[in-house]
Amino acid sequence: MRDKIVYALGILAAVILAWNIYAISQLPEETAQGVTFKIIFFHVPMWAGAGVTVSLALIASVLFLITKNFFFDALAVATTEVGVAFLTAGLVTGSIWGRQIWGIWWTWDARLTSALLCWILYAGYLMLRRAIEEPTQRATFAAVFNIFAFLDVPIVFFSIKWWRTQHPQPVFWGQGSFPPDWTRHFLWNMLAMVALGMVLTAVRYRQEEVQREIDALRRTAHAI
Amino acid sequence: MYTLIAQISVEDLQREALRLQHDYEFLSYGLIAAWVILAVYVMMMIGRQKKLKREIEGLRAMVEDKHGK
Repeated sequence: MRDKIVYALGILAAVILAWNIYAISQLPEETAQGVTFKIIFFHVPMWAGAGVTVSLALIASVLFLITKNFFFDALAVATTEVGVAFLTAGLVTGSIWGRQIWGIWWTWDARLTSALLCWILYAGYLMLRRAIEEPTQRATFAAVFNIFAFLDVPIVFFSIKWWRTQHPQPVFWGQGSFPPDWTRHFLWNMLAMVALGMVLTAVRYRQEEVQREIDALRRTAHAI
Repeated sequence: MYTLIAQISVEDLQREALRLQHDYEFLSYGLIAAWVILAVYVMMMIGRQKKLKREIEGLRAMVEDKHGK
């Protein structure tokens, strides 16, 4: 039953995102950037999805260190991996957008550099987990590293306020605004992307549970 | 109105068409990239799911076999 709900939510999120491609194509051009600006409908929700998942990973890591309950370790891996997928998509869509608007694929300004560092840190977390065999040691080291990696998240978020960057100020959190019909589609995409993130996390969490069962079975097989 | 239209040259129209084409090109690159990355991740998950299923079935059979002996 739980699986069916998870898959239904995933399909619903994918349908909303697909339907929104058509809806977004019907919207008029943006004054300064033309139709390229519509990348915002995917670029920002990707970063929102990444923000939600890595925040959950932080909470799960802290809770693991307090309780030593492996449920939180599994949750931290699942959310971080989904977060890395979103971060990758956010970086790539941003680079494509930048190429058309700034004329360059990449620049080492505070926002882009801290965002790339964020991706490297979380990808490093996933690699670190593969390098440690012993489960308790792996979970503890990984939790500490995850908390350390999260230190970069506020820097990514506030970098455009703290420093002068090539990356523009945000539409909603700066002086800009959206027409109401743009806002509606934008919020639907945000919601769908976060829902998709939750679904992917749930699936990945189940896989981590199975992996733990496999490890236990291996130990039993060796002991017999 | 007619004076304004008369001032638009063929080159202007061509330039505008080219700009629009270029904009749509990059918008489609962005959308395709977002979907491809998510699709690749989902495919990786499906692949991992199959591998885990095979592995757990094999191990269960092995443990049962050892218990039987």
